[in-house]
Amino acid sequence: MNEKSIEASLKRMIAPAPDPEARLRAKRAALEEFARVHAANQDAAQENEKTSEAPAKGLWSALRLFRDDSSHGSTSMAWFVRRNLFAGVAGVCVVGLGIAMVWPMLSNYGDSSLLGDPQPPMTAGLEPAAGDNPPVRAFSNTAGPTPPQPALPEPQQELPVASAAKPAPAASPAQEEDKQLNEMVVQGYRQRLEASIQAKREAGVVDSINAEDVAQFPEQNIAESLQRVPAVEISRTVQSTTPADASGDVSEVIVTGSRISRAAMQAPHKGVAAPNPRSAGRVAANVYTPPAPPPTATRELYQRAAIPELSVGVPDEGRDKFQQFDVNPVRQVADEPVSTFSADVDTASYSFVRRQLNVGRLPQKDSVRVEEMINYFDYAWPAANSAKTPFKPTVVVSESPWGKGRKLVHIGIRGYEIPRDDAPGANLVLLLDVSGSMDSPDKLPLAVQSMELLLSSLKPTDTVGIVVYAGAAGTVLEPTPVKDKQKIIAALRELRPGGSTAGAQGIERAYQLAESHFRKGGVNRILLATDGDFNVGIAGTNELKGFVERKREKGIFLSVLGFGQGNYRDELAQALAQNGNGVAAYIDTLGEAQKVLVQEAGASLFTIAKDVKLQVEFNPATVAEYRLVGYETRALKREDFNNDAVDAGDVGSGHTVTAIYEITPVGSATRMVDKSRYAKEPQPPAGTGTASEYGFLKIRYKLPDSDTSQLIEQPIVIAPRDVPQNVQRDVQFSTAVAGFGQLLRGGTFTGPLSYEDIIKQAQTAKGDDPFGYRTEFVQLVRKAKVAREM
Amino acid sequence: MDEALIRRAQGGDAASFAELLDLHYDTIYRFAWKWCGHAANAEDIAQQACMKLATSLSQYRFQAAFTSWLYRLVISCAQDWQRSQQRHDHDELPDEEAMTEFPRHEDGIYLAQVLATLAKLGEGMKETALLVHAEGMSHAEAGAVLGVSESTISWRVHTIRKHMGRPEARASLAYE
Repeated sequence: MNEKSIEASLKRMIAPAPDPEARLRAKRAALEEFARVHAANQDAAQENEKTSEAPAKGLWSALRLFRDDSSHGSTSMAWFVRRNLFAGVAGVCVVGLGIAMVWPMLSNYGDSSLLGDPQPPMTAGLEPAAGDNPPVRAFSNTAGPTPPQPALPEPQQELPVASAAKPAPAASPAQEEDKQLNEMVVQGYRQRLEASIQAKREAGVVDSINAEDVAQFPEQNIAESLQRVPAVEISRTVQSTTPADASGDVSEVIVTGSRISRAAMQAPHKGVAAPNPRSAGRVAANVYTPPAPPPTATRELYQRAAIPELSVGVPDEGRDKFQQFDVNPVRQVADEPVSTFSADVDTASYSFVRRQLNVGRLPQKDSVRVEEMINYFDYAWPAANSAKTPFKPTVVVSESPWGKGRKLVHIGIRGYEIPRDDAPGANLVLLLDVSGSMDSPDKLPLAVQSMELLLSSLKPTDTVGIVVYAGAAGTVLEPTPVKDKQKIIAALRELRPGGSTAGAQGIERAYQLAESHFRKGGVNRILLATDGDFNVGIAGTNELKGFVERKREKGIFLSVLGFGQGNYRDELAQALAQNGNGVAAYIDTLGEAQKVLVQEAGASLFTIAKDVKLQVEFNPATVAEYRLVGYETRALKREDFNNDAVDAGDVGSGHTVTAIYEITPVGSATRMVDKSRYAKEPQPPAGTGTASEYGFLKIRYKLPDSDTSQLIEQPIVIAPRDVPQNVQRDVQFSTAVAGFGQLLRGGTFTGPLSYEDIIKQAQTAKGDDPFGYRTEFVQLVRKAKVAREM
Repeated sequence: MDEALIRRAQGGDAASFAELLDLHYDTIYRFAWKWCGHAANAEDIAQQACMKLATSLSQYRFQAAFTSWLYRLVISCAQDWQRSQQRHDHDELPDEEAMTEFPRHEDGIYLAQVLATLAKLGEGMKETALLVHAEGMSHAEAGAVLGVSESTISWRVHTIRKHMGRPEARASLAYE
């Protein structure tokens, strides 16, 4: 390729013909603008008169009345005409003086400020007086749909002046006001249009409805029109029988959570405040496919809404939302000997990364959470024996493959695995997003299949209820025992994406359902399946989190299953699952559903320990620096460790949690941070026998039905004895995964580590790999190697 | 050109202004499209440009050709538009979605990359390339539009040529 081909391709670039509707819209908007500009110029002219030319004005208005009235020729007007003649005569006297005083000022003003306006200020003042159409009216004939007219009937316009047929100066303020009123109507309309355009630009919102649109809709009132905007629903107090009644019954408008109170709705026909586009924002974006062919007037709205759906060529992962975070830095043991974090058993990040790599692109950096990638795999850490002490930690020290002279400390925990027969009964409520955006093979259909898989891992006495949102409102299936599997499957298969805009208070209803069938001592859990549109009837993120948290205290937990991509809101999914004592998993394939909901069903459903926190205190005598790999979003404060009120991650039955520290032992030549020249290195505490320890590990957890935490402690010894073969192998594999995750995040600390090294390392540590996950990992690393960032 | 029409529109005659819009909307839209490569975004930019035309038509003093003046207006609208996009969508890759609607897909990706690369070259580069190569303007005309001298345009065209011929630039354009 050379510059020739660039020129050629630029030349070849043929713009498509503009869309006639867009053209019309642009033209209309421009003409409005045009009218506004010229109206504004007139305003300026009037302003000018008002401040500097009041007496003179009396003359003009009087003259004007005279002319107008004579053309009407009505007898009742004749009297006014005569009176005005007198007024005119009186005015002339005053005006003679006025003009003499004001004329020089006026001509200056005209030169300086109204250059752009071809009408000199005097004519601007005169124009309405001459009885011509004001400019506002002149253009409306050409501008397509008529904007609301100022349209005061002519005689009315005369009235204030007529009644004020006293001395001319007194008449002028009245007429001034009259004119101002006209202008206000025009401006209000303009401003709404502008606000609407602004709303679309500012918020990235896809739709907005303005007064002009409303006039073209067939609805009874504005509330109903608003309902056309995705993510807006209205609720009625009484179900009305006739459509005409319906208008009065709107009790509130719910806008993606934020509510416009009834007060604002009192007089729906006077115009409702537009939905706050900021709160509608992302949530409303690209989620909606219209249920029925909309009338022409609204088609453009829907077309805008549909654009993201149409441009499927390149999946647009830029819209998926992830929490931004910085990689954990290297810390000095001397400064900060204690590291505290919360357990994390989520695996969503790995699935998301896999999905991106499978389409040949590197994932967004913030979507890579190294600890979630590590914890995606099941490791051979020894299991605890009883539910009472539900886990025992495994600590292994190995050489760091990417930092010479540094070491890796693996901390592995395997949760106690509840035998299937002892598993508590489950009361599950599936909360499914069936909005239009779920209409994609990897969304609702996959979610339905996943749920069917889930049924196979439940006991016959467990119950399953189904609630949907953003669609055919509410409960689809009352909690039904799993032994009636056919009934549940039939209900699931009935679900169709799309449906009407009238959504449900999805999440609240799901909790109500779970509460009504609450199982004491059992598992009460809501599984939320969504593609990221959390338009579930409760406002903002924080309110939602608080709601989930309160319900958690009542014993109802929440897990989030993410589907699809495009507007996936990972951050929120994570936060909700964390607040709901559940896992956030991202399901990109049926295989992943199999893993999460069948093989690891126990782990996903049955919590064996709540609020699991880990704290490591490093020994300054043996360790100079340390760095926690991953867990950036799970960091806790040192004092949070012993505070039972601080929420942390939960571990399910049979879950493994793995954390890796990279440490630089004292005396290593490869310290990242140089020794301080002035501060003294801490002296190792003498003769306490701790010289054989790198540090001390503490784990706090709560049993599922307890509110007080328990403590597990274990020293991290420099040379652990008898590490079994399979544990060593899994240490190597998890190291490979950790290396991969760090490389995807930019590889700040991984030195010369390459994808090749990771492949080699992972290959030799694959082990049995009964489900093929580790083989898949090796494939992923290969894909990352060839993936080029677009 | 139709100077009389413009003067009437400047004088506040809405019918003339409407006629003017009819005459030039296609030019505005097509150039906006080339600038951003995306129909809906081009519509937005075009609409902005039309509105801006309404407010600033009075500033047109018949010194340059009306189309040159118009191009400058569209460019400034497009730049405003992009800034506002970046403000809302500060994640990253603001352009990516905008680049997916070319008639032929491979062409689309390729052109998207060309546009993106041009934009990275520096201020005014993309505009220069579009005016000179896509619109077929002379360097003098393009200079008039962008408000720089003819020699600046020549220099820019030369820089673009030089840069696009370089191996790194070729490598950065994955389509080959």
